[in-house]
Amino acid sequence: MTDILRIKNLKVEFVLPHMRVKAVENVSFRIGAQETVALVGESGSGKSTISQAIMGLLPKSAQITNGSIIFADPKKPGTRVDISMLDRAGKEMRAIRGGRISMIFQEPMSSLSPLHTIGDQICEAVRLHRKVRGREARELAVEMLTLVGFPQPKRALKTYPFELSGGLRQRAMIAMALVCRPALLVADEPTTALDVTIQAQILRLIREVQSELQMSLLLITHDLGVVANMADRMVVVYDGRVVEAGQTQEVFINPGHAYTRSLLAAVPHFNMGPDERLRPLREIKPKTGSLLAEVGNAEAQRENTEVPASLALHPTMASEPVLAVRHISKSFSTRKGNWFKSEEQRIPAVSDVSLTVNRGECVGLVGESGCGKTTLSKLIMRAMNPDDGSILFRGESGQMTELVGLDEDQLNPYRKRIQFVFQDPFGSLNPRMTVQDIVAEPMLIHGVGDGEYRRKMVLELMDLVGLDPRFLNRYPHSFSGGQRQRIGIARALGLKPDLLIFDEPTSALDVSVQAQILNLLKDLQRNLNLTYLFISHNLAVVDYVADRIAVMCAGRIVESAPREQLFRNPVHPYTQALLHAVPFADLDHLLDFDKIVDGKASDPTRWPAPFTINQNSAPKMMQFAEDHFVRAERADFTEVAI
Amino acid sequence: MLTYLARRLFVMVPTLIMISVLVFVIIQLPPGDFLTTYLNELQAQGEAVDPAKIEFLKQQYGLDQPIYVQYAEWAWGLLHGDLGFSFEYNLPVREVVGDRLWLSLVLNFSTVLFIYIVSFPIGIYSATRQYSWGDYGFTFVGFLGLAMPNFLFALILLYYANVVFGTSIGGLMDPEYINQGWSFGKVMSVVEHLWAPVLVIGTSGTASMIRRLRANLLDELSKQYVVTAHAKGLSPKKVLFKYPLRMALNPFIADIGNILPQVVSGSVLVSVVMSLPTTGPMLLTALQSQDMYLAGSFLMFLALLTVVGMFVSDVLLAWLDPRIRLQGGVGQ
Repeated sequence: MTDILRIKNLKVEFVLPHMRVKAVENVSFRIGAQETVALVGESGSGKSTISQAIMGLLPKSAQITNGSIIFADPKKPGTRVDISMLDRAGKEMRAIRGGRISMIFQEPMSSLSPLHTIGDQICEAVRLHRKVRGREARELAVEMLTLVGFPQPKRALKTYPFELSGGLRQRAMIAMALVCRPALLVADEPTTALDVTIQAQILRLIREVQSELQMSLLLITHDLGVVANMADRMVVVYDGRVVEAGQTQEVFINPGHAYTRSLLAAVPHFNMGPDERLRPLREIKPKTGSLLAEVGNAEAQRENTEVPASLALHPTMASEPVLAVRHISKSFSTRKGNWFKSEEQRIPAVSDVSLTVNRGECVGLVGESGCGKTTLSKLIMRAMNPDDGSILFRGESGQMTELVGLDEDQLNPYRKRIQFVFQDPFGSLNPRMTVQDIVAEPMLIHGVGDGEYRRKMVLELMDLVGLDPRFLNRYPHSFSGGQRQRIGIARALGLKPDLLIFDEPTSALDVSVQAQILNLLKDLQRNLNLTYLFISHNLAVVDYVADRIAVMCAGRIVESAPREQLFRNPVHPYTQALLHAVPFADLDHLLDFDKIVDGKASDPTRWPAPFTINQNSAPKMMQFAEDHFVRAERADFTEVAI
Repeated sequence: MLTYLARRLFVMVPTLIMISVLVFVIIQLPPGDFLTTYLNELQAQGEAVDPAKIEFLKQQYGLDQPIYVQYAEWAWGLLHGDLGFSFEYNLPVREVVGDRLWLSLVLNFSTVLFIYIVSFPIGIYSATRQYSWGDYGFTFVGFLGLAMPNFLFALILLYYANVVFGTSIGGLMDPEYINQGWSFGKVMSVVEHLWAPVLVIGTSGTASMIRRLRANLLDELSKQYVVTAHAKGLSPKKVLFKYPLRMALNPFIADIGNILPQVVSGSVLVSVVMSLPTTGPMLLTALQSQDMYLAGSFLMFLALLTVVGMFVSDVLLAWLDPRIRLQGGVGQ
């Protein structure tokens, strides 16, 4: 097999006014004809720099100081070009870039110009590299749009990117990259920003067009699940160096380098035993001190007095509900129309959702973007008022209290009991406050303890999340994403809340850091007997932390069951579609691309008979098995009065 | 698109009505009216005033009517192109204003054009060569222009033109054309004189526009879609002009509505200093002597200019940006 691309001893340095920073050093690998090579690494590993070097898209300050990138174009047999020697803006490089080597990017939202039509942007690529006229270019564009699965390719030419969904935008992006039939496609995290079901469709599409156009693929990703399903060979980069390279199968089964091993061990997968733990690169040992241990002990004592010890092992069955959401609904209105008559359109964000969280349990809420899971969490936090339904919460008095209808003052004592950890570790911490102030702020707001108590508590919280108390006077910018998320967790724990809501707490983090945070959350829950509502789009993550899982789609909970049951025996078609679409980092459970259907699995009107939701039928939650509920209309399921 | 335009046009009507009410009320706010100011002046000069004559004048000018009647008459007149009567000059406003309105328009329009023509290439240069010597140089000059008061610049310019070149650059035309009918010579003379006030009034606007364009373009240059365009193999120049520059134009155009009133109000002081026959100095005296119909006409003219400017920028934006045209807002 002839190699299309051969990288040898590549070294890229960033030249700054007062120093040189090595980004990539001594990197060598090759990509064969029609082969898929995955470049795997975490953020900052240099994998994007490598791809930029191949494309000649390195930023101005970056220099290739050593090595070569030899590109052998199969269309011109015998010729070899060293890309590293070419002028980045020169004619030769531009002929290769976009013509023979194309690239697709992570963010389908921002990688297309919002001011130009899809047709304009694709035809531009055609006309740059081929001598064709406007009409021929349009025909080629339509042909490519058809290939990538646009439902109406002719019309798509005239649409603007913002009129398309994320999945379609990525398809348009792929069409644009492929329209000149390149020899090599560089895909930089092509599916990271997409939902699982869409991700599976795009992965399948990339595979299909790859064999159709007979091109090679360099797949840059941090997701080992994607690697397992797509790549022939994989190259693992760490800190700018290649630590391991080989056939995907061999690397997965018998990883040679310690880093690869730890990367594989850090990915949550579905057949993990109940006591099996993820192994992050660096484990955090939470240390409980006097103030927080009291909570745990007190709770444990109460548990012990109230429930028999045998049942205490199954917190779901044993303990009382902390939160009970009943038939809650919320819709947003958008105004359409002109100045004189405006039609108000109500778009339901959450409809008829019921959910119970028991003390000491972790309930996972899974759903794709836009399914209403964040709205639901905001409703529970009472940051928004529901249109309908009730939210019962067990406060300090031990009584369930109705939160809907309470005014701001009456809500105040409950605000203290429910705390929130946000998705974005960068945006959720005030950059102008020290860590000390950030962690102490909730206590200050609610007037908990005196200054002495708060200082002691903050120190203990830092210990608890494994951060050095010497960091207390620093500002958030000096911490990594994982450390910031731990600060966020410490802040949420300071008030000893009865319920912690996590909204995608690890989706912005690397796998190894994610494993670290997930383990920390599990340990904290066990040690302090905490109650979690864990919201995520990542099924494997939810499977790892949650005891009970509710699947949400189009504003409704469609299925809820204990964790083992949901994954072993999914009933609802949407849950099944989700499970089919998740790429596992496991060679024994590869994606079945035949089962992935195009179109939206999240459209309730298209679900088969007992599950369909449209104007005529509005199924309710039915009991399918013990503790297993499905939204369906079927006689053999009994309706439950929750 | 058509409904968008119609809606924009329709909104202009209540806006102008509201402005006219405000203008009228504000002019009336200081105690007294033109006559009392006039009387005070006469009394200060030691002249006796016949109360009967005052009554007569009051009636003649309609100043004895309640304020809303006065407003209604004024507004009705405006709709018919009748700008009212100037007390101070004892002439209809239209005659008092004369060419001033058009000269102001020419001056302000040239200034805006100057701002755009100068700031555009410099802004692009500064953004694409960030932190180069050229960028620093333009930044320095720009801040100088921003920091220096217009009238001071005008004075300095007048002084040096006189001392070094021995010419007077005040006014908008050679003295022999003042109060003469329009002729080719007069037009050329105006064109010759125009550069100095345009330069003076336009400096600060140009400086801030350069900064704005530079900042916008820098933001856009680092966006993902620019990388995509490079990845297609487009030449750097084509990328710049087709993608980020197009995006950076948005605030540029949205500023039309803002820049007009800025330029107009900025030109008042300069007009006084450089003795330009524009509306500015006259507006000032009209406001001082409470010559309400004259002042009102000027203010309404400014308001109309602003509102039309806003409309033009809205239309241009909708034409340039499909997100506004098709969605009714810039998403994301």
